[in-house]
Amino acid sequence: MLNLAVAFAVAFAAPDTVPPAPAGAALAEPAIVVLRQPALPIVALRLSLLADDPPGYAGAGHLMQHLLLPRLEERVARVGGRVQAIRTSDAVVYTVVGPAAELDYLAETLRGVLRAPAAGTGELLAAAAAVAQERSAEREIAPQYVRAALRARLFPADLPAAGTDAAMARLNTARLDEVWAAMYRPERVSIVAVGDVEIAGVRRAFRDVPAAAGEGVAPLADTVRAFAADTPQATRGWFGRGWNAPGADPAALTVTARLLRNHLRRRMTRSAVDVEHWWTHHGQGLALVVATADSLVPVARRTVEGSLAGLRDNLDERLVRDAAASVRREMLFFARTPERMADVLGAFSDRGEEAGSAQRFYAAVARVTEDDVRAVLELLLAAQPAVVEVPAQRLNRR
Amino acid sequence: MRIRSIAACIALCVLPFPAAAQERVVVRPEPGTPVVAAEVLIAVGPADEAAGKEGITYLTARSVTAPIVPILDSLTAQLTVVQHKDAVSFTVIAAPDTWEEATRTLLVALFRDPVDSLATVRERTATAAELEAREASPADALARQVDAAVFGQAHPWGRAAVGTAASVRRVRVADVDAFLRAGFTADRAVVAIVGPVDPEAAQALRGFMDPGPVRRTEVDAPAPADRPVRQQYNSITAWVAAVYPFDADADEEALRMLARLAVERVSFGPLRPQVYDSRAEVTRHAGGGQLRLELVVPPREVEDWAERLSAAVAEYAGEALGEAQFSSRLRRFRGERMLELESPEARARALARRVLVTGRTTGALADLDGLTAERLHRAARALGDPVIVFLGPFVEQRRE
Repeated sequence: MLNLAVAFAVAFAAPDTVPPAPAGAALAEPAIVVLRQPALPIVALRLSLLADDPPGYAGAGHLMQHLLLPRLEERVARVGGRVQAIRTSDAVVYTVVGPAAELDYLAETLRGVLRAPAAGTGELLAAAAAVAQERSAEREIAPQYVRAALRARLFPADLPAAGTDAAMARLNTARLDEVWAAMYRPERVSIVAVGDVEIAGVRRAFRDVPAAAGEGVAPLADTVRAFAADTPQATRGWFGRGWNAPGADPAALTVTARLLRNHLRRRMTRSAVDVEHWWTHHGQGLALVVATADSLVPVARRTVEGSLAGLRDNLDERLVRDAAASVRREMLFFARTPERMADVLGAFSDRGEEAGSAQRFYAAVARVTEDDVRAVLELLLAAQPAVVEVPAQRLNRR
Repeated sequence: MRIRSIAACIALCVLPFPAAAQERVVVRPEPGTPVVAAEVLIAVGPADEAAGKEGITYLTARSVTAPIVPILDSLTAQLTVVQHKDAVSFTVIAAPDTWEEATRTLLVALFRDPVDSLATVRERTATAAELEAREASPADALARQVDAAVFGQAHPWGRAAVGTAASVRRVRVADVDAFLRAGFTADRAVVAIVGPVDPEAAQALRGFMDPGPVRRTEVDAPAPADRPVRQQYNSITAWVAAVYPFDADADEEALRMLARLAVERVSFGPLRPQVYDSRAEVTRHAGGGQLRLELVVPPREVEDWAERLSAAVAEYAGEALGEAQFSSRLRRFRGERMLELESPEARARALARRVLVTGRTTGALADLDGLTAERLHRAARALGDPVIVFLGPFVEQRRE
């Protein structure tokens, strides 16, 4: 029988890595992480540019993704591959998945996103319209609104991926190559490759990334419209609570989030409860989002108010052990395809963490104790939570 | 290039289980895959159901697994139940430390536990409600019409494998209990395990399996419709299906490639803005299978698109593609086919189905390296005339 510890180690094996060259070095190169998974001759290549949008140009990274995506999709489809483009709080991320035998072709295609897009007016308008829709959607629907409003309270510097109206107006007339120049540096590029490939092949495929392109646009100010001005659509009552937890141990915070979710779901069987560990380079925190029937809102609010203390009073070592095991298994389940595994590994490197941090986090979750969780709970209880509430909309009676 | 081909074959090959039960429990060890997927296929379905009890297989599958869901949840394992024409599929995905317990729990529920009457009643209500909701769906309506047209109205595979809301409501707890004992037997089952497992670890599962070939209920030969089938459906769009039945010795991988190439020729694009949706599928069962092409188009154009569908397939039967053309198409198909198998559960499903249908326990999951323009040409030429099914409002016909 295969040793279980070995099985885990194999699943989240320490990948081969090439650290980035120091900033300002003559030949700056991207950081490369490779996890070999020989089960199938495919590879997932995740390229991320670790950069905030230039001040005053919020949404620039995502707008460029919209401009670059059609060509990227068309090229990757030629080898039967798939593309995903996401703007996270940490990075502008592109992932392509395709045959491992096409590594060089896929890498060459991906390198194309490291230059400013040359867009015509029509393409720019279409991309700006798509980003504007995403920006509206964040404020129109209750689940997204609650999370966006909490994020704005917890991490004010973390601007929406879809930007702001004022910034988008600027981007419509700005020179995109100058905006790109303000974001792009080769040493900010991070590559994660998962699949049937070797480190040498991936290094060779990404050896020629474009050089930095000058100073870029001058910084301006971003103005985010207040969330209180919006009325999101809600058929149920929604409320969110968010706690900043900058000093908490990330593994203990993740396990606490799972315990709090389990605790509340057992007590709120007629409500939808999510508890999430938010962790970006802006900081980390715990977000609690609840949706419940209009008539249950007062009861649900009381349950939520007392949830941290309630969990602390009912905590024991077995609960912590079970929650930690559940988190670890879910990590494995989520990362069961090369693309998802690249996402997990990339999320850690995008926060600027060292190579192998995903593996260390996975191991650390197993070592979380009751005392660790209690320490996190005390930290959260001492903090003032961010509060967001959205009442259910009611039809006006004539 | 040759080295790459060999590497691909190694990566796609399956290690046979080195014991007496090798043809029933197949293991594909994959060091580096984070989870284990176990696929249990039991060769029981509509052909085993009595008249008036259509859907009892699916109901039994759901009823017998419902009580173990909390156990699987506690192991953070996922279970999916899908009813096919010729078999019912159970897929378990679990972490390497829990897959054995999760799979054993499933096999005990299937082959040892009696049915739970409360769970059966609950599942019957839920299944009937789900089927009722699906009966209004055009995709389901088309699938029902296509099945009836391809296999024949009287054929057990000519109706929905999951039954109807009405037929499921008629099934009693005692019926489910009897069906479980008669139909869900180990001599009808195959198991495929994919993930970071030692082949020896599957030894524990041998106790559940009977030696020998898989027992299955023989079905009559299909009686496909010899003229287009037209079904009125209240909608603003229309559906067209062209279905090509094929024999057991057909070149399945070449047909998969053909299906993709053919549907590409009629899919949405600058020259075909009126095509709302398109789909190609190759399904395989013991004794043969079908290549299905489907389009969603404006109702006035259904006849035209049926002809275009047939012409798209005929194009590849007419003349073999040139080498350069074939290479670029194979390059794309290879990638798409690989991505179909990217999750461990997809590989477990493909493996179990191959064992059930062909009895083969070794070889590549997808035979891509040997595909040639000539094989594609031969596969297209071997197809007969398609069975054509229309579903829609048929504006022009109504005017007449």
